[in-house]
Amino acid sequence: MIRPAHQGALAAGRRIRLIAQHTLAEAVHLRLTLGLGLMSAVLMGASYSLREFNFGGAELKFISDFGLGALGLGGGLLAALVTAQLFFQDLETHAIYTVLTRPGQRWEYIVGKFTGVAALLALFFAVLSLLLVGLLQVRAAELGGAGVTWTILLCTSGLLWLKSTLIGAMTLFVGTYARSALFTSCLGLLLAIVGQLQAWAQQSGWDWLRGWPNLALFDAEAFLGIGQIPSVGWLIGALGYWVAYVALFNGLAAYIFQRREI
Amino acid sequence: MDYPWAIELVDFAKKYRESGSGHACPAVGGFTLRLAPGQILGLLGPNGSGKSTTLKALAGLLMPTAGECRIFGHQADSAAARALIGYLPETPRYSPHLTGRGFLRYCGGLSSLSPAMLGPRVSAVLSWSGLAEAADGLIATYSKGMKQRLGLAQAMLHEPAVLLLDEPASGLDPGGRLLLSRRLRELADGGTTIVLSAHLLTQAAELCDRLAILGSGQLLMEGTAQALLGVAPGRTLEPSRLEQLYLEKLSLHD
Repeated sequence: MIRPAHQGALAAGRRIRLIAQHTLAEAVHLRLTLGLGLMSAVLMGASYSLREFNFGGAELKFISDFGLGALGLGGGLLAALVTAQLFFQDLETHAIYTVLTRPGQRWEYIVGKFTGVAALLALFFAVLSLLLVGLLQVRAAELGGAGVTWTILLCTSGLLWLKSTLIGAMTLFVGTYARSALFTSCLGLLLAIVGQLQAWAQQSGWDWLRGWPNLALFDAEAFLGIGQIPSVGWLIGALGYWVAYVALFNGLAAYIFQRREI
Repeated sequence: MDYPWAIELVDFAKKYRESGSGHACPAVGGFTLRLAPGQILGLLGPNGSGKSTTLKALAGLLMPTAGECRIFGHQADSAAARALIGYLPETPRYSPHLTGRGFLRYCGGLSSLSPAMLGPRVSAVLSWSGLAEAADGLIATYSKGMKQRLGLAQAMLHEPAVLLLDEPASGLDPGGRLLLSRRLRELADGGTTIVLSAHLLTQAAELCDRLAILGSGQLLMEGTAQALLGVAPGRTLEPSRLEQLYLEKLSLHD
């Protein structure tokens, strides 16, 4: 009889990695992923064609703003819809039993699922950021001027990735107590919209939203406008903010999922 | 393991809460059942009698509303208990884009099998389940019977002390069922405890050391097939008598 060491951080880490890899593999096979990837790429490409409608602004600024908007929209939708679909697919096909009847803890499944979605989003942002950089370089060459600074664009994409993964964490939290993928996707997106409007709502006197994550914090297109990378201190602060909320939502998800009957 | 019981269900009861009304519907009404290591227990009963609920509770997927479920003395929902079990769910579906071997490697990793142990164990269960030739084909191309055999293979990949099988013969052809019975008997003879749910009475009676007949969540009868029928040990069981007894018990209960 085999008695492998299944306890300890190393074993837990290995299981989380396996669940994350499996989640990523499942996610890239979803039509939804392909559809949202294509939609974002088409929108990004459209920025090149629509650059004439730049309302008097610089063409490159218009393309980058429009492209980053497409990236943010696609990333947010991907985070909410794919997270919900993958989670409920596991429940409905009983594939989750394969994981939960093995000697791990349920929180490992939540962390693995989140990590897999985060990896998918990283892939999505990497591919589409490269596409955006390509578009900007081509237009900059046509105009005979300097393109957008890589580091600023990467930094902006990175911040959008943080925002999307946080939406993924919120959606996963909803999924742990919800009964359908549709409800989870809708509520995940609604919570993302609330997060996007949080700062504005607070300014308008809705103080009860104070504790809700402010997703607009990660919209760093403004840095592109002034051509400056955010300061290291600001970036560390944003990263800390992200870590705190991801830990909170994953922790809540794990707590609820521990008690959920499958 | 020194503990005398591989499986212990003590006053086990389970109620499901209806979504919407919030009413609690009893699925299992409360019964006690113990199984010694190396025995095969067959759970028999019509649909909705509580067979799958009992297996899920033993697999740690459901919490009992009352009573206890233990695997070798460990609470069924503990990691220690899960390390001892292999579980085949009813109608499992696995990632169609994985190969059979890839899927088993994933399962082996989740069971914390070391890389050195993983390869030989995957090959062994592929051979055990008759999937060796199809191992590198995509699961999407597998027939229903092959998927069921893959499910059995993942359940016994880590050589569990207790196998919990929800309708293991489902989707298998007659030859596959016979082979499965033989393989399960070999495992039990080697010390593995097996709890399975079944609809085919005669096959369950031939394979299982003990039978438990459930009806509407109640344990109606439990014991060896011979004892249930009043047949002397060693004498051949008559399938028609078993079926008659089963139907009588269910109708009396209703």
